[in-house]
Amino acid sequence: MRAIVRRLAATFALVGAPANAHAHLVNTRLGDFYGGMLHPLTGFQDPLPWLALAILAALQGPRRARWLLVAFPVGLLVGGGLSLIAPGVSFIPLLDVALIALIGMAVAAAVVMPLPAVIGLGVVIGLAHGYQNGQAMTESTDHLLFISGVTAIGYASITMATACATAFLQGSGSWRLLALRASGSWVAAVGIMAFGLQFVAPATH
Amino acid sequence: MKDARLKATAALGALLALLTPAPALAHIGVALGLQSGILHPITGLDHVAAMVAVGLWGAQLGNPAIWVLPIAFPLVMALGGLLGMSGVVLALPEEAVALSGIVLGVLVALHARPQLWIAAVIVSVFAVFHGYAHGRELPYAADPLAFGVGFVVATGLLHLCGILIGLLVRMPLGERVIRACGAAVGCVGAYFLLAALGAIG
Amino acid sequence: MIGFLQGLGGGRRRFMLFAMAALSAAFLVPARPTSAHEASMAVMVLREVGPGRYLGQWSMPPIDERLRPIFPEHCAWDPPELDCGERGFVGTLSFMGLGSKQSVAMFRVFPLEGPAQAYTVSAANPIVTAARDPGRDIGAWLNLADTYVNLGIDHILRGIDHLLFVLGLIWLVRDRWMLVRTITAFTVAHSLSLAAATFGWVGVPERPLNATIALSIVFVGVEIVKLQRGQVGLAARYPWVVAFAFGLLHGLGFATALTTLGIPQTTLPFALLFFNIGVEIGQLAFVFVVLALIWAHHRVEATLPRWGAVLPAYAIGSIAAFWFLVRV
Repeated sequence: MRAIVRRLAATFALVGAPANAHAHLVNTRLGDFYGGMLHPLTGFQDPLPWLALAILAALQGPRRARWLLVAFPVGLLVGGGLSLIAPGVSFIPLLDVALIALIGMAVAAAVVMPLPAVIGLGVVIGLAHGYQNGQAMTESTDHLLFISGVTAIGYASITMATACATAFLQGSGSWRLLALRASGSWVAAVGIMAFGLQFVAPATH
Repeated sequence: MKDARLKATAALGALLALLTPAPALAHIGVALGLQSGILHPITGLDHVAAMVAVGLWGAQLGNPAIWVLPIAFPLVMALGGLLGMSGVVLALPEEAVALSGIVLGVLVALHARPQLWIAAVIVSVFAVFHGYAHGRELPYAADPLAFGVGFVVATGLLHLCGILIGLLVRMPLGERVIRACGAAVGCVGAYFLLAALGAIG
Repeated sequence: MIGFLQGLGGGRRRFMLFAMAALSAAFLVPARPTSAHEASMAVMVLREVGPGRYLGQWSMPPIDERLRPIFPEHCAWDPPELDCGERGFVGTLSFMGLGSKQSVAMFRVFPLEGPAQAYTVSAANPIVTAARDPGRDIGAWLNLADTYVNLGIDHILRGIDHLLFVLGLIWLVRDRWMLVRTITAFTVAHSLSLAAATFGWVGVPERPLNATIALSIVFVGVEIVKLQRGQVGLAARYPWVVAFAFGLLHGLGFATALTTLGIPQTTLPFALLFFNIGVEIGQLAFVFVVLALIWAHHRVEATLPRWGAVLPAYAIGSIAAFWFLVRV
């Protein structure tokens, strides 16, 4: 099976190679603001915990969830700024995956959190992700535009996701809560495995 | 056997290649990782069958199993994944998956209703081995996180299939259909067990 | 337009999805009006001096000096001379070094015989193909459509002042049908004036034009504040009339971007059409994202308190007033 996956990977790497050459040009197309907006969407390390965070907030009810719409973007903005002031903090990637597992488990358990905890979690995740995305900036990047882009997409994503999860929960049927909790459990599973991976030295294959 | 699986993988790969999100947008590694992650659980029929059986059984058992299983399963599976990643060698993983297929299939076919903790242990054994099989692949994926997401999405959807079929339990005829599905899963498990032991194929 | 969208193929549609996501909070951008609207394009002019031999030079030099043209392999490039031999100027063209400073660059080719031709290279469309006669070549037309639709999207997404005006309209008009009418009026108006200006029927100097565009946004901001105070102004009563009037103005603004590219007269109507389509795609995406975000805010009860309801209008108004002063 492993061999098959590798063969497949090789095949697609070949097929995908020309497309790969274009991948980085997209970032520059609409300036650094849009580069910043696009950056978190190029992988799962950002959208996955954002989704879980939005669901967790929705589980707290709209009155507490709405504070996330402020707390999270502020965290992103400050985190992006910190990446300029103090680059190279090495534990952030580890923190990121640990947070994926943590939020996922909180959703699975449908934890009820006090308002300060909701805000705090939003700020912490914002800080970590803003920092991590900010690290992607190069010398020639317009820092302000890039960080604004990251903040804007974070704000828009978290707002839409929280609203969708809230609307979903307000429908009838107990299965809705169950479905959200199950999705949290799946996020946690990904997070746990990604966390474990941080401690596994990739062996020669 | 291996050959058939290879063909299925290739066909599905071609299919998914058409659906893959824009390589121009996503980094190619993400697309690759996601793809192999999705393909991995659904190209092994033994895993597919057992996974559907878990959903079927959950629906059959009703409350509280129907909500404990989908929530607890991924977490236990992740533990299996950790074992697989860390290089721990579990004995006879293929046999164990096939065997859990047989056991789950038979239990569904018999409409067995053991206590929740017994059901949980049986499902957990399968979950650990299922996670283990994929955890071994994870570190080598083009993008491990994307691989994890793909693998979890595919597994979750299979689960959901089982639960949806299982909802037939409310209808009189549906009950029989489910038990027949259970029997079919048992047969698939038996086939794979024999194949793994080298008796056929 | 939907049919056209589908015709564009997967890449474009996916780009649209990105654009919709990307637009979602464009109004949060710390505005940089000065850089927002300059056409940051480099143009290289190639004049044929003998059969297959060209002289090339920058008519609009690149911002980044490292930008280099890449010619077809059979052409020898020894600046400023380009020798393409008997095969002539055909094959793939590109620029090396397109990046954040410069996202678009263009070749303008003046052959000894026949009309001038233009090939636009952008980061999203890094390779273009030069053919002898683009008049009958499907590929050349697709290339043209691809280039100008993208330029249109690009232009509206960078044009923070246009987006701010549209945002003001959405804020002002809460009735759904009236909003559709208003946006349509704005679209029709700016299409008309864009066409008129591109064909050279009307001409307005750029500086006063930009200042007036800024003023139009101030106007919408003022109307929103008035409405919130219970006074129904002209714009609140007939928003589509206001949208149409100011749309004419904004269209002239779009045209300045298009005309600086120096499109040859033969392809001008089509370039204009595709550019306009791109602008509409970008604008619609923006409208949908804003509406979605408004819905989301209501859903999680995250609306502004009564005392803060006028803040966005004041923000829009003061940013635009600032631009007005800068541009005057």
